[in-house]
Amino acid sequence: MFKELDPVLHSQLRLAVMSILIGSDEADFVFIREKTGATAGNLSIQIDKLREAGYIEVMKTFRGKMPRTVCRKTEKGLEAFEKYVEALRGYIGG
Amino acid sequence: MKYFKILIMEPLLSEKESLELIGRMINSAKNNLQKGLGNVFLLWGYLVAGISLVIFILLLILPGDTRYYAYFLYALMALGTPFHIRLIRKMGQQQLVKTYIEKIMDFVWTAFTISIITVLAGMLISTVLVLPGFADIEPGYEFLRWFPWTFVTPFMLSFYGFALFVSGKAYQFRPLATGGWVCWIATLLLIAAFHHPYLLMIQQMVLLISVIFGFIIPGHLLNKKEHSHV
Repeated sequence: MFKELDPVLHSQLRLAVMSILIGSDEADFVFIREKTGATAGNLSIQIDKLREAGYIEVMKTFRGKMPRTVCRKTEKGLEAFEKYVEALRGYIGG
Repeated sequence: MKYFKILIMEPLLSEKESLELIGRMINSAKNNLQKGLGNVFLLWGYLVAGISLVIFILLLILPGDTRYYAYFLYALMALGTPFHIRLIRKMGQQQLVKTYIEKIMDFVWTAFTISIITVLAGMLISTVLVLPGFADIEPGYEFLRWFPWTFVTPFMLSFYGFALFVSGKAYQFRPLATGGWVCWIATLLLIAAFHHPYLLMIQQMVLLISVIFGFIIPGHLLNKKEHSHV
C-alpha cells in the first residue's frame, strides 16, 4: 500500500526550500529566492507554512544595517523530509 | 464592493519530478565558494612569511646567543587577530548559505588555531620562566636555553599540512591540498635535518617557502577563482 505524501512538502516551492535546507546548514532568504526563482512574496508565504508546520526555523538578523532572514531546518523537518522521500521511492518503486 | 480571493494554484509534481527537484536543490549549495576566503589565507600567509623572514635575518646578523631572542617575534602573529576577526565578520555578512563542509571547516581551522596558540604560547612562557634558571649555565651548554624552539617550526608546519590538506579536499581546491603536502614534506625534511649546524636558519627559510606554497599562492588563486565566478 502506498504511503500518503506529506501535503506540506508536496508542493514545488516548499519542497525546493526544504531540499536547499537539507543540503546546507542554513540559508539566507536571498539565496533561496535565487535558487528557486520564486517571487519574494510567494516565497515568504511558503516559508511561513513550513515554519508553522515546525519543519524550519526562521531567524531575523541584520547584515550591517540591512535586515536579513536566515532559514534552518528543524529535527521535525528532517524527519518529515526523510519520510517524504521514502514515500516517493515507494511510488516509483511500486 | 466585491473582494476577490485570488487563489494561486501551485503546480502539482509527479513523484519523479519531486525527486529530480530534491536532487537539484540539494546540489545548489554544494559548489558555493565562500567569498573572502582567499584574503584570510593571504593575511596569515604574508604575516607568517614576513615574521619568518625577519627571524631568519636576525638569526643571521645578531651576535652570539642574543640572536635567539628573534624567536620572540613569533608573538607578532597576534597582530593578525583583529584583521582576521574583521575579515571573518565581513565574510559572515556576505555569506548567503552555509554548507556542512563550511561548518566542519570552521571547526578544523579553530582546532588548528588552538594547536598553534598552545605550542607558541607554551614556548614563550617556557622561555620566560626558564631563562633566568640558566643564568649560571656551563659554557658550551647555552644552546639548552633555546633548544626547544627548534621544535616549533616542524610543529607549525605539521599543523599547516593537516589543515591545508583537509581544506583542499573539502573545498575540492587542489592548490590547498598541494600546499598541505609541501608543508608535510617540509616537516619531514626539517626533522631529518635536525642535527644540521645551520638548522635554525634552514627552518626559517623552509617555513617561508612552505607558507608561500600553502597560504600565499592558494590565497591568490582563491581570490582569482572568486572573481571569475562573479
